[in-house]
Amino acid sequence: MGNSIREGLVQLLIRHRENFLSGEEISQRLECSRTAVWKHIEELRKEGYQIEARPKSGYRLVYRPDRVAPEELQPHLSTRSFGQHFRYRAQVTSTQALAHEWAREGAPEGAVVIAEEQTEGRGRMGRSWHSPPRSGIWMSLILRPSLPLPLAPQLTLVASVALSRALKSETGLPVSIKWPNDLLVHGKKVCGILTELRGEQDQIQYIVLGMGINVNVTEEFFPKELKEKATSLAIEGKQTYSRPQLICSMLKELETWYNGYLTHGFEPIRILWEESAGMLGKMITARTPSGEKRGIAKGLDATGALLLETEEGILPVFSSYID
Amino acid sequence: MPLKMHELRELIRLVDESQIEEFELENDGAKVVIKKGLSGQAEVMAPTAAPASVQAPQEPQPAPAAQPAPQPSAKAEAVAPAQGEAEEDDSRYHKIVSPMVGTFYRAPAPDADPYVQPGDRVDEKTVVCIVEAMKLMNEIEAEVRGEIVKVLVENGQLVEYGQPLFLVKPE
Repeated sequence: MGNSIREGLVQLLIRHRENFLSGEEISQRLECSRTAVWKHIEELRKEGYQIEARPKSGYRLVYRPDRVAPEELQPHLSTRSFGQHFRYRAQVTSTQALAHEWAREGAPEGAVVIAEEQTEGRGRMGRSWHSPPRSGIWMSLILRPSLPLPLAPQLTLVASVALSRALKSETGLPVSIKWPNDLLVHGKKVCGILTELRGEQDQIQYIVLGMGINVNVTEEFFPKELKEKATSLAIEGKQTYSRPQLICSMLKELETWYNGYLTHGFEPIRILWEESAGMLGKMITARTPSGEKRGIAKGLDATGALLLETEEGILPVFSSYID
Repeated sequence: MPLKMHELRELIRLVDESQIEEFELENDGAKVVIKKGLSGQAEVMAPTAAPASVQAPQEPQPAPAAQPAPQPSAKAEAVAPAQGEAEEDDSRYHKIVSPMVGTFYRAPAPDADPYVQPGDRVDEKTVVCIVEAMKLMNEIEAEVRGEIVKVLVENGQLVEYGQPLFLVKPE
């Protein structure tokens, strides 16, 4: 209950940020004692909120720290199920690990784990993901689709389409997709997606869709070896962006395209993916575990594999690193 | 184009869900006949022509090596069992098969130890490998209690839907 009072309090303060709101009125609206109001105000202050208190007038919100806590997201969130269950942490080892734990405990579809900072952020095959505090979006989404398991990899393409749309509409930056699902701005990576599936035979138990987005990460925060390959929305757009707003837009697009995919199949996603792909028609090298293949990227086949026109003919690529 | 195993399965599923009683397809000299029994369930008649044009995932035809001994050395991961080894009925072994097309990984990271080695004991929940496609990592669980007898594919190999990955001697 404590949390819902707090969420209500933040929302009230945001809505009335132009004027003072008396403790009396807040306690009536939130149906709690004035002592409880005072206690929650104190807690918010500890987390970096600046709340002006004036005798006889009440409280007024002066400054909101850049946080991605549920009470910050709620005012912007217009989804039906994505993000309606939430676990928020100031710091985690990785949101993927926490999401797996929660999924095993029975987290519902659309449940979201989000953290201000990851100390052991993960990419695929044990690669680490640099995730400094409060400057990016480190988030994992739990899905329980009724989908034949062999089709599940298509969800990574669904996610790349949804997230590219969200980032484009929120920032206006030219976001392009690199197969299968990295998002790039001006050729450098701003977003990585890692999808992990747990299943039994042909049955999907759950999927954890993890995403890392460099939002307000500044240049000096990137380790040297990443500067050539990675960037942030803020560096490319030369301004900072509201993470809560981005997150809500991402969840909205993800929910829309995920449901659309489950209803209408892969074809609409395939078309949108190809429209956003930066590499089509270009000569690329696909490094697969069984060797390198060079060819012209032609598009996606009906399963989502990348079609590569090589000297040996057109080959479908299911997994590789693209240079 | 020869029919792939996953296409064949898809075909069976579609026929099974439809009102169609009998379905024939001739393609590159291979013939597939699907007839529904009275139960309404689809059953597949044996292809009449060269089976070579139906690209089934390779069942490991020869039996696994007879040696029951645990062989913890990583080098011992024979891929295709050599011809001429003692013919043994491998039906008593449980096959862990790939639930999707993708790349087979024996370890969670390039520099990490394999999830399992021949000789290792596993239970239903033991993760034995990852199959990855389009950056979706599918951690495969043994789903059976027993002992890993053989690893049937190599690290980094592309595997088909339904392709056997491990042989497990069930308890």
